[in-house]
Amino acid sequence: MTGPMIHFEDVVVRYPGQKTPALDGASFDVPRGAITAVAGPNGSGKSTLVRALLRRQPLERGRIAIDGNDLSHLTQRELAQRIAVAPQREEAAFPMKVGEYVELGRFPRLGLWESPSAEDEQAVKRAMLRAGVNEFIDRRTDELSGGEWQRVRIARALAQQGNALVLDEPTTFLDMSHEMSLFELLDSLANDGLAVLIVSHQLNLLARFASTIVLLDKGRVAAVGTPTDVMSGPLLESIYAWPLVVTRDPAAGAPALIPLRRRTVS
Amino acid sequence: MIDHRSWHWSLAILVFVVVCIAGIATGAIRVPVADVLRALLGSGDTSSIAIVRDLRLPRVVLAALIGAGLAMSGAALQGTLRNGLAEPYLLGVSGGAAVGAVVAFAFGISNSGWIALAAFAGAAVAVLLALLVARAAGRGGRGDPRTLLMAGVVIGAFANAVIMVSLANAPPNTIRGALWWMMGSAGDASWQTIGVLALSIVGGGAALIYLARDIDVLALGEEPAAALGVDVDRSARTIYLLSALLAAATVAAAGLVGFVGLIVPHIVRYAGLRRHRPLLFGSALIGATLVVAADLAARTLRPPAELPLGAVTAILGVPFFLAQLRKAA
Amino acid sequence: MPVLRTRILVIAFVALGVACARKDAQTPATSLTDDFGDTIVVGPRPTRIVSLNPATTEIMFAIGAGDRLVGRTHWDLYPAAAAKVPDLGTGIRPNIEAVLGARPQLVLLYASVDNRNAAQRFRAAGVNTLSLKTDRIEHFFRATQLIGLLVGDTARAKLVADSVRKSIESVRAKTSGLPKPTVFWHIWDAPLITIGGGSYMSQLIDIAGGTNIYGDRPDVSPQVSIEDVIKRNPTYIITGPEGADKIKKDPKWAIAPAVKAGRVIVVDTALVGRPAVRLGEAAIALASLIHPKDFTR
Repeated sequence: MTGPMIHFEDVVVRYPGQKTPALDGASFDVPRGAITAVAGPNGSGKSTLVRALLRRQPLERGRIAIDGNDLSHLTQRELAQRIAVAPQREEAAFPMKVGEYVELGRFPRLGLWESPSAEDEQAVKRAMLRAGVNEFIDRRTDELSGGEWQRVRIARALAQQGNALVLDEPTTFLDMSHEMSLFELLDSLANDGLAVLIVSHQLNLLARFASTIVLLDKGRVAAVGTPTDVMSGPLLESIYAWPLVVTRDPAAGAPALIPLRRRTVS
Repeated sequence: MIDHRSWHWSLAILVFVVVCIAGIATGAIRVPVADVLRALLGSGDTSSIAIVRDLRLPRVVLAALIGAGLAMSGAALQGTLRNGLAEPYLLGVSGGAAVGAVVAFAFGISNSGWIALAAFAGAAVAVLLALLVARAAGRGGRGDPRTLLMAGVVIGAFANAVIMVSLANAPPNTIRGALWWMMGSAGDASWQTIGVLALSIVGGGAALIYLARDIDVLALGEEPAAALGVDVDRSARTIYLLSALLAAATVAAAGLVGFVGLIVPHIVRYAGLRRHRPLLFGSALIGATLVVAADLAARTLRPPAELPLGAVTAILGVPFFLAQLRKAA
Repeated sequence: MPVLRTRILVIAFVALGVACARKDAQTPATSLTDDFGDTIVVGPRPTRIVSLNPATTEIMFAIGAGDRLVGRTHWDLYPAAAAKVPDLGTGIRPNIEAVLGARPQLVLLYASVDNRNAAQRFRAAGVNTLSLKTDRIEHFFRATQLIGLLVGDTARAKLVADSVRKSIESVRAKTSGLPKPTVFWHIWDAPLITIGGGSYMSQLIDIAGGTNIYGDRPDVSPQVSIEDVIKRNPTYIITGPEGADKIKKDPKWAIAPAVKAGRVIVVDTALVGRPAVRLGEAAIALASLIHPKDFTR
């Protein structure tokens, strides 16, 4: 088990008809056993990264490697067996039972005519237990709260039994307690050896949980490193184009970004 | 939504068989049920055998095939397009098929086999055009469902214009024949047409059932489906084409029969089936039952005339949309 | 006494009324009412006439007024001379502009509901419009009489009508004593259309010594089901060449005893296509087909 689970090398992605690329030479690694975060303002290329990883967007230049294998050499199925991605948008057009939904995570491993085996059922059970949603097994997906739904999605991703977990903005609609408990789950999964890649704009939480933050700015990697390295006031201010200050909260033990008011009240 | 049980399947199969027997036994000429069973096996009164085998059986078989084909097509499209209002005639199938048939009528062709061929050709052209238009209009060719739906609407609108022009100055009998064809009927097909239809439905249906798991995953969204290992573009396109094939085959054999492909998947989902493999089977069964019953109604509601099959199934649309309205409100 | 005076007055008034009526009956009619209930005044002899109905076109030629036609419908092809008359399109919902463009003094329309608007428009433009039903044999006679009146040739019209009437009556007389086999007339296949009691074709069958199995239906061309036809079990099935072809090939029709026994009669649809001058010939033709042994032409 050597080498990073996911390796981005000089990745350039351009949407058709656009002059500037959405991703312009992004390079970084996502190692096992740690949480790697990708952050940046809207339009910095975060979601494009996930789409490129899912092969929904072709690469203009560069390469992506999954556990040493070039992405273009893998089939979609093989990709899904190695990494589990929970994209930002998911439209559950037709509600179903949570148990059935998590079972879909076994899709990449099931043969076309096979029914789920005992091993598959075990994997589903384990995944639901690990994500803390095993009591929901008979509830309907359209009856879950935001926090519960995200955990169920993680359960499905875990059922894929990949070595990496990629989440695109998983906490956008969650309140504080759900956000924290989700991050704590991710932390524990990373401790188990999973390579966790999380795309998020919640810099303060990333600062506390991520080992590495990749800061994107207009498609380029503005900075890569530990939260302390990356979260410098001037850098963040220039990237986010908003006055802010970075402090360090002793209770949290990590840098914290505080946006300032642009105009003083007169 | 109720939970499905295995006895539900047995019940559905039983109802289907009963409806089929009723369909074979009912008509202007009375054939007692016992005679029906004997006639099917080839024994008994010669005229009963002829009536059962040459008049009633082809209709019932055709109706069942149409119902199964349309329902499966609708179920597959609703799952893949993630939209409960998707239906088999979406991608310009109905418009294209109607153009093919009407143009054939306008040229004086009245042989049902040739009309069927023309209708199928029209449908095929329309679907291919819709796919091309969607590809040209969409960003980089990604099959965004909405683009595809709009392309289908565009093709359908064009088809309507062509139909109106073709019929504008046609002699009355041509118009009557074309209109009758467009309103759908299970009575005009020969055994040959039925045979070809059966091959299409069984072949297309089997292929869809093969892809049923893909549909389960596609129903989550294109990115989640890609994340779970589905080659989204290829799978989706294959499913659209298979659904269109089923729809076009039914239209070629029996004209336009609406609402079946739209409503039956909802009924089956309501009965508790969600995974697309059982959903497709269930849709085929319930769709077949529904259309055989509709044909029975078409034949018996206003004797001695026959109502168009499409008219009877259209009535079903009313309670369905009312129910949808209540759900949305 | 008041009662007696009233009685005398009443008798006087009635007598006056009768005298007046008699007087009216003596002056020739200068106006007539068509089948839309519109009144048409008989004017000077029209030289430009548009006929939007195959039946009236044929009548026009028969009474010798065909040379005055300046427009016909697309499907008016009898007699052959009609082909020279300009084609103005359909007879149902006609092209108003095209018809008025031919500057007619008289328009002959088929009195279907769809043509009410056209009739109004023609009349509003000052053109005499005669709207007639031409579904039954008696309609033909009425049409011939009224057209004769309007084009100023009542004598010829009467000749034509009388000749047709004679033919028909002679056929009716010849077949009156014969048994009447049941007949089904197959007009169109999908949908299955036949002729009902409201059509002249049903009357022709009757004259020719047969019984239309759908003669009890008042409409002109009802839609029926093949099963119902088989149930009514007609002795003969009459159809045109295309229909005969279909019936021969279709296993469903093979169930009908008439088809099994080969009693499918093929007629020239042009002969029976409309209730017009050739009604007599049509009746003769049908009679010889239905009663081949008893009826020689």
